[in-house]
This record gives sequence, C-alpha cells and structure tokens, in this order.
Amino acid sequence: MPGWYYDKKEIKNSPSAQDGLDFETEMRYRKEGARFIIDTGSKMDLGYNTTATGVVYFHRFYMFHSFHQFPRYVTACCCLFLAGKIEETPKKCKDIIKTARGLLSDEKFATFGIDPKEEVMTLERILLQTIKFDLQVEHPYSYLIKYAKCLKGDKVKLQKMVQMAWTFVNDSLCTTLALQWEPEIIAVALMYLAGKLSKFEVLDWSGRTPKHLRWWDVFLEDVTMDLLEDICHQVLDLYSTQPTAVPDSPPPKSQANPPTPRKSNGQDKSDDSAANKSIQMTDMTPYQYQTFTTAPPPAYPSVYSAPPIQVAPHLSAPPPHISAPPPTVFPQFVSHPPPFPPVVTGTAPPPTFYPPAAPHHQNQRPFYQPPP
Amino acid sequence: MDYRRTGSSMERNDGYEELFTIGRGAYGTVYKARDRNTGKIVALKKVLVPLTDDGIPKNTLREISLLKQLDTYEHPNIVRLFDICHGQQKERELIMFLVFEHVDQDLALYIEKNANRGGFSTITIRNMAREILNGVDFLHTNRIVHRDLKPQNLLVTHDGHIKLADFGLAKTYDFEMQLTSVVVTLWYRAPEVLLGLSYATPVDIWSVGCIIAELYKLSALFCGTSEGDQLNKIFKILGKPPRNEWPKENVAVRYESFEVVDPIGISHLIPNLCTTGKDLVLSMLKFDPNKRITALEALNHTYFTEEPINT
Repeated sequence: MPGWYYDKKEIKNSPSAQDGLDFETEMRYRKEGARFIIDTGSKMDLGYNTTATGVVYFHRFYMFHSFHQFPRYVTACCCLFLAGKIEETPKKCKDIIKTARGLLSDEKFATFGIDPKEEVMTLERILLQTIKFDLQVEHPYSYLIKYAKCLKGDKVKLQKMVQMAWTFVNDSLCTTLALQWEPEIIAVALMYLAGKLSKFEVLDWSGRTPKHLRWWDVFLEDVTMDLLEDICHQVLDLYSTQPTAVPDSPPPKSQANPPTPRKSNGQDKSDDSAANKSIQMTDMTPYQYQTFTTAPPPAYPSVYSAPPIQVAPHLSAPPPHISAPPPTVFPQFVSHPPPFPPVVTGTAPPPTFYPPAAPHHQNQRPFYQPPP
Repeated sequence: MDYRRTGSSMERNDGYEELFTIGRGAYGTVYKARDRNTGKIVALKKVLVPLTDDGIPKNTLREISLLKQLDTYEHPNIVRLFDICHGQQKERELIMFLVFEHVDQDLALYIEKNANRGGFSTITIRNMAREILNGVDFLHTNRIVHRDLKPQNLLVTHDGHIKLADFGLAKTYDFEMQLTSVVVTLWYRAPEVLLGLSYATPVDIWSVGCIIAELYKLSALFCGTSEGDQLNKIFKILGKPPRNEWPKENVAVRYESFEVVDPIGISHLIPNLCTTGKDLVLSMLKFDPNKRITALEALNHTYFTEEPINT
C-alpha cells in the first residue's frame, strides 16, 4: 500500500517526538506495544497474521499521534481487536480486555480508565480514521515461504534457516521496519541474516539466470547489501539493547540509571553490545543477546544439538516454526520463553517444514499492478 | 485523557460542503459536494453502518478496506475512491462518508440524450461495452460481485469513458435495505436473483447483457414491474428455459406458472444489432448462470475482435 513508508528521519520526527518524548523512549514504547500485541494475540490463539496486522496498525497509528496522548496498551488492544476482524479471526472486545488485564500490571491497566471496553471502542473509530481504512496489510511471512520454496540445497539446513528467519520476522515487529520497508524486502533481509547465522549459503535456486548474483535477484531489483545489512542490524539491535530498569510511562526525567542513548535506530552500530552484561528483569526483553557482527557467539554451534526448547506455558505444543531449536543467535535461555513468544496459529498443525499456509489474500490474482 | 475531543475534530465530514443530492437509493444517499480544502468537486456517499456490541461489523470493515485496496490499482473503468471518513454516531449507527470522484453523467442520462440524436454509432457501443466488461472483469478478478449493475451505476466521463460505481458494499447495504423501502429496479436482475436463489458473478454478466442490448435499443430490454412480471418479460423475449434448467430447490416460483409462448426474439426487438453482437448478448443472457459467458471470455468474443465494420 503506497503512502505507509517513512524514512528514518520522519520516524524520528514522529508526533511523539514533537510532543517531547525522546526517541529511545518512543522506541521502547513501540517495542512494548508490539510485544504486548504479540503476547495477547498468542494467548488468545490468534494467528501470526492477525497479530502482525495489529502491530502494523499500532506502528502506523503512532505516526499520527503521540504516545503521550494515547496510552499504548489501550491502542494495542484496539489494534488487535481491529486486526481480528480484518483477518477473519474476530475476538470480542471484552475478551481482549480480559486477556490484557491478565498480562498488565494494575498501573498499566489503569490507563484503560473506568470503562475499558468503551475506551477501546471509542478508539476504534479514531484508529480507523488514522490508518485511513487501509486495513489489509501484507507481512514478510508469506514472502518468506515463497522465497524458501525456490532455494536449493541441504533440506535440513534450509529448514533451520527458514525457521530462524521466521523468528526474526516475529521479532522485527518490535522495530519500526514495517514503517520503512516493504514486506518483500524485510523477508529477503532476514533470510539473508538467518542464512549467515546458520551457515547456510544459498548456491542455487530455481529461476536462476546468469545475470543473477544473489538468490533474491529473482524477486527484487536494486536491493543493495547496505540496505539488507541495515535491516538486519535494526532487528539485531533488539537483542543488544541494554535493558534498563525504567519504570513505565512517563519515564522520570532524571534517573540514576538512564537508558543508554543510542545513536540511531540501527543506522550506526555501537559496539557496546549487551554481551556479558548482567541482565535486569524488566518488562522489556530480558535476554542476554550477543551481536554477531564480528563473530558468532560462543553458544552458537552447540545450539542445534540442544534439547527441545521450552515453550511458553500457555502453548500446549510448539508452533511449527519453532519445532526446531530456536535461532542460534540467542544463547540458551534458562527460565523464560524465547525472545518473543512465538505467534501461534489457531490450530497448530503438526510440525512441518514450512510454517502454516500463506494468508488467503495472497492467492488473489492482481490484474493491475498499483502504480509505482 | 482528552482524545475524545480529538476524535470529533477528526471526523472530517465537515471538510466537505454538501451541494445537492445526486441520488437516493437503497444504499443511502449520494451528494455532490465540494472539498473545503481543495475546492474539488466530489461525490459524497453517505452510508449508515449499524454498530454491534463489538463496534463496526467486520463485513463492513472488510468491504471498505477492499474498496481502498482496489483503488490503488487505479483501474480506468472504476470510479476513484478518494477518502473515507466517518461522521457522528447516532445510537447504534455510525454515519460513514465515502468520497468518490465526481462524474457528471450516468449511462442512463447518456442514453437518453443520444436517443434524441438517433442513437450511438456501432463503434461507440462496442467501446462502451468493452469498457463495461473491463470494469466487471476487474471486480470479478478481485472477488467482488457488483449485484446491481444498471445504467444509473455506470458513469460516463466527459470524453465518453465508462466508470463503474456503487459496488463493493453489498453486505453493508443488506442491513440498510431492510430499513428502506426504496424501490430497486428489477430490469437488470438475473433470473436467479429474481427467483431468490444464491448467486455469484454471473448475475453481473446478465446485467451487462441487458445494458449492451439497451445501448442498441435505446430503451430497456426487459421492463418488469415485479419479480414475476420481470421473469415473464424475459421468457416472452428469450423463450421459457427448458424444464431441466429450472432450479431444483428452494424456488418459490413454479415452473408451470409461466406459459410457453413463441419468443419474440432479440433480432426482432433490436434490428440494428449485428450478428456477433447478438451472439454475445445471448451468451450473456443464458438462463442457467453456469452457461453464461464470463467477463474475460466476453472480452475475447468475436464481437470485440472482428473488424469494426458492420451495421
């Protein structure tokens, strides 16, 4: 859909920024909101498309409104509520609120006011107007599947690579990537990243012609390595962001331990990765991640032989995309679930190579291409 | 938290100045309006959306978002959708405004004007027929059944091009149709609709068949006054369908209730219709929807591919 992509400068100059919210906090709010939508959706057995659609609505909404004016968890609930209707997985507003209530602290839930349902319902119309009724959103998942089918090579390695890429796509929802790049490009970038990390080098692919240097040349033109690297770094930054014990909004202006300022949203790589630093448990990603811009983390090679992963307690069975060990970038966690609880489809089929089928609207036959 | 105030200031229906009513139908009201910011003239369609316990119904949301998505293709034979906004909420209803491109005349008016001048040239008719089918094929490709194609819903631009309007909100309208008692024209309705059966894309093809015939005839082909009368008129001209084509189930109307008469025939009614044109129209007016030609097949019909010289 044209008109929903922004450059980094525009994202930095968001309504929240103009409203006095610093960039780091805004990114944290976006991450928390996205994460909350994923958690709520997952708890309600909503599919990955529904949660992803909800998250995209959320990011788009805050390109027009300030986090100061619209509390993020109310907005997040509303986005998930609307996404459920659009993706044909409707959930009752009161049930979403009920689930949210279970996931949020009293303090956070207080932002829903005295009549939480009315709060969300009122917001629905504002949300619709804000996102201009552009409700059908595409996600990288379907492209991931499409591209994977064209790659040749060791099936087991390919499978691992795709599963890792799938998790990166889940995690990418917590960044503003969906506001910057088309899902096709994000899919390519995160497959490239997963390929690198799982040491799966794509040497051949269907549709290859002599002028193709990279497998994605079949699908996309004019994608530079710089762009792909930038996208990868934006996702990797999620794992290296130093979790800081910051209370919920509004963050105090003066704090003993302010969040480490970062130069930009992934543009400049800082080398003070979170590796080997102690982790404080907060509502943020409480994981120790290691960047691997230089070398893979030590834990990396052994992960594939690791025992079956622990899944979040509410998941009765591992969803297809994590039926194998988690992506190797993450050191083995001890007591908490994978970085972001995987998005589960309503009726999880037995683990298969590919994640569940592409969304139905992928099958539509577009006769007329939108103008560039 | 004061965003309720923001909400109401965002309800931008006051961004348009309503000039006058263009049409009022089962679907709601269409106004000619002026965009206060740009001065542009637009067609403002007011749709009443019923609110449920869970807000705006998902069918309406899906239909509206599909309309928005289709608009990105900028199909030349589909009316542009500029904007969507919602007005105030009354009790259990929300007023929504769909802001469309404004086109001055519809095909009904265009036919009327040209009837006084001796009708259209065959080339003009062929071009209009092709454009109508192009638009219909586009909708069908995107899984939209128009359901109410008629000359009043086909807009004619100042340079004579056709644009389809008023589609895509069938499920939303259903609600309103129960509330309004506006008489909807039956003249372009396919037999399966008149019989109250479930229907799909072939109903639009039937309507296009009627409309193409009308472009030659300069008046409507089947002018019934009720569902039964409409079927009677159809059978009088085309002949009664064979017994085995009559739907087996759920038909309120009995096959026997229609008398068998010698069909008047299309050629007799429309002497100026060429052979290939007649073949096309008849393939669109098949009683059995499964035997009706599709929009894509129709566009490849000899009528459109032969040398455009005939009378």
